[in-house]
Amino acid sequence: MSFIETERLVTMANQIADFFAPYPSARRIEGVRNHLRNYWDPRMRQALYDHIDATGGPELRPHVLEAVAVLREAAPATEAKKAYAGPPRD
Amino acid sequence: MPIPVKPDRSVTTTCAYCGVGCGFKAETVEGRVVRMIPWKEGKANHGHSCIKGRFAFDYYQHPDRITTPMIRKNVDDPWQEVDWDTAFAYAAGEFKRIQAEHGTTSVGAVSSSRCTNEEIFLMQKFARVALRNNNIDNCSRICHSPTQFGLSATLGAGAASQHFDSILQSDVVLVVGANPTEGHPVFGSMMKRAVRRGARLLVIDPRRTETVDSPHCRAEVHLALRPGTNVLVLNSVAHVIVRERLYNEAFVRARCDGDDFELWMDLVGDDRYSPDVVGPEAGLDPDDIRRLARIYAGGPNSTIYYGLGVTEHSQGSTGVMCLGNLTMATGMVGREGVGVNPLRGQGNVQGGSCLGSWPHMLTGYRFVTDDVVRGSFEDEWKITLDSEPGLRLPNMFDAAVTGSFKAIYIQGEDPIQSDPNRHHVEAALRSMECVVVQDLYLSETAKLAHVFFPGSSSLEKDGTFTNAERRVSMVRKVIEPLGGLADWQITVGFMNAMGYECHYDHPSEVLDEIARTSPAYSGMSFDKIEALGSVQWPCNTDAPEGTEVLHTVTFPRGKGSFMLTGYLPTSERATDQYPLLLTTGRILSQYNVGTQTRRTANVAWHDDDVLEISADDAAGRGLSSGDRATITSRYGSTELTVSISERVNPGVVYTTFHFAHTMVNNLTSDLDDWATNCPEYKVTAVDVVRASIAQPVAGS
Ligand code: SF4
Repeated sequence: MSFIETERLVTMANQIADFFAPYPSARRIEGVRNHLRNYWDPRMRQALYDHIDATGGPELRPHVLEAVAVLREAAPATEAKKAYAGPPRD
Repeated sequence: MPIPVKPDRSVTTTCAYCGVGCGFKAETVEGRVVRMIPWKEGKANHGHSCIKGRFAFDYYQHPDRITTPMIRKNVDDPWQEVDWDTAFAYAAGEFKRIQAEHGTTSVGAVSSSRCTNEEIFLMQKFARVALRNNNIDNCSRICHSPTQFGLSATLGAGAASQHFDSILQSDVVLVVGANPTEGHPVFGSMMKRAVRRGARLLVIDPRRTETVDSPHCRAEVHLALRPGTNVLVLNSVAHVIVRERLYNEAFVRARCDGDDFELWMDLVGDDRYSPDVVGPEAGLDPDDIRRLARIYAGGPNSTIYYGLGVTEHSQGSTGVMCLGNLTMATGMVGREGVGVNPLRGQGNVQGGSCLGSWPHMLTGYRFVTDDVVRGSFEDEWKITLDSEPGLRLPNMFDAAVTGSFKAIYIQGEDPIQSDPNRHHVEAALRSMECVVVQDLYLSETAKLAHVFFPGSSSLEKDGTFTNAERRVSMVRKVIEPLGGLADWQITVGFMNAMGYECHYDHPSEVLDEIARTSPAYSGMSFDKIEALGSVQWPCNTDAPEGTEVLHTVTFPRGKGSFMLTGYLPTSERATDQYPLLLTTGRILSQYNVGTQTRRTANVAWHDDDVLEISADDAAGRGLSSGDRATITSRYGSTELTVSISERVNPGVVYTTFHFAHTMVNNLTSDLDDWATNCPEYKVTAVDVVRASIAQPVAGS
């Protein structure tokens, strides 16, 4: 079973994506990525990755998929980026 | 009880009920509290008080009070009374067993805003050093977490920009989703004083509250918007300010990020947010939106006060950002008489936010993922900390339901009664192997606990509270803890039993630790607070006696940041089956879920929750005032007594949530804020029918 029910995770991720939707493309993706990185327990992130790996995440907004791709590129342990309050600025 | 002529002791302390944080002199005779006298020197209340702080103190000696630790293997077993050491050893043994079987992150904790700053700080320390994870949350998750997020994102500080007295220098007072005359009465009186002196009052609230129209208090413009349309309406106010060029260009140029301002102007300036479009959607006259925008932008000193009517929505954080944006666009921030100010619910909700009781943040709103910040705590605590965010309380419950989260330590909170979707919370708690509850009474949540630590009331301990204006005031021990230990001592006892050794002789040592690790508190100590009476953070070398008004020169984040606040309607909509929108609030004499005030003579003023309904909606259902009605939502149902009211528009019904038996959170949805998971308490689609012809109440 998923760490948290998949439907709940998908809803949460899409809500975050909807907030950042009015931003220009790069900041939109960065906003979702930062939020998932700084506010989500890693097991929630992993459950979302597992869902995407298993299904492609057809019900997820496109910029959730793009943000997850960016997030997965950088291993958290080596990440030097300074954390900040979520909105897409850096 | 006859009023004693002469108390044998008088102790100055702080009211724990609401975020005003009034100072009181607690008078005792032979070790019993007999009177609470408002403290004239109290800088939050100047000698005023309301009927909660003044009269509702008997709860501490109510017969329901539990004063002995208790344990049991299963929630169906009878409780077994034990001594403190046995209770600590049992709880620690269970937590360690569960962590060994299910992993370090299978357990967590939640702190209470009824506790002191020092106790909240110790709770988050407990999670990080004793549980070795970041699964720590605080009760502002379900009320003002969007404030922290939304104001941090725009202005850089998740707290009120002003001190209370600042309102006396305001020309315009905009109240959004709050009812200070009932919820924050002493501040409400100060607001009325400002209005009597000529300040223009504007209110955005679905209900014609006492703030909208009562003696000495009449709103010049009241936007009685449809529940759930805050962001839409606030964007429309911004639209008028942008289209009519009412913004303060000089302020924006000097203090804010110009690119973000341009993006924001494009968004809110779009025809989508024209009052002519928004008015019909939100149930408002477009001209009223224009009038409100012009008066607010015209000032010259306009201030905003807001409450849970802004935060408890699926766009709660976005709504707070809208307010931050408005203050920056009009230059209404950074001096006396202006600003944006959350009216905090519980006495120490601001402290709960500041003191690092978050799964992603340490004290002072600094991220656990930040190596430098985390390193400073590792140096202080001599232990390696988890570098990943932990679970928020709703996500702890979500993970419990799937079997991934197994134990929780709950300080002074009653999530079964106060959190959304009661059935989900109950299922989560039932699926856990160890629930530790620290409280005054056997709460609804404690009925599903395995360990009960008898907590201490605010009359039984030393410490500090931070009120809604960032004011840190002393809480002083008036009587000895009835259970033998103050809450801070209980957490320290549990921490030691878990294997992390620590010792404090007095809570002042905890504040010293907070000062060492938290820049905004760095200049604070018990001695300084004693000497000055109270201190508003930031208190540091730049501001050794504290700070009354924030953002005077720069914002903590440098340039202020306009956030893009697109409106997204909630998915909780009225339908043919559920045609009315239920919204919730509070009444003067009772406090939150009523755990304390229900156990005092204040029930004489208000002894039940009632359902306010418009005459039109009542007539269509054959309802009269005094009838019992069944209220049904998609999630559950409950029964309330009907009161026909002119305060609500047709299509909207309203109730309070002070009494456990009414189970209002049976009705509320599991929708929550996109950024913080703060529940959407303020919008639930329901139907209302006479109880006699209704189906039996489900889920009760
Ligand atoms: S409940 Fe609030 S307004 Fe009333 S006395 Fe206490 S702090 Fe003051």
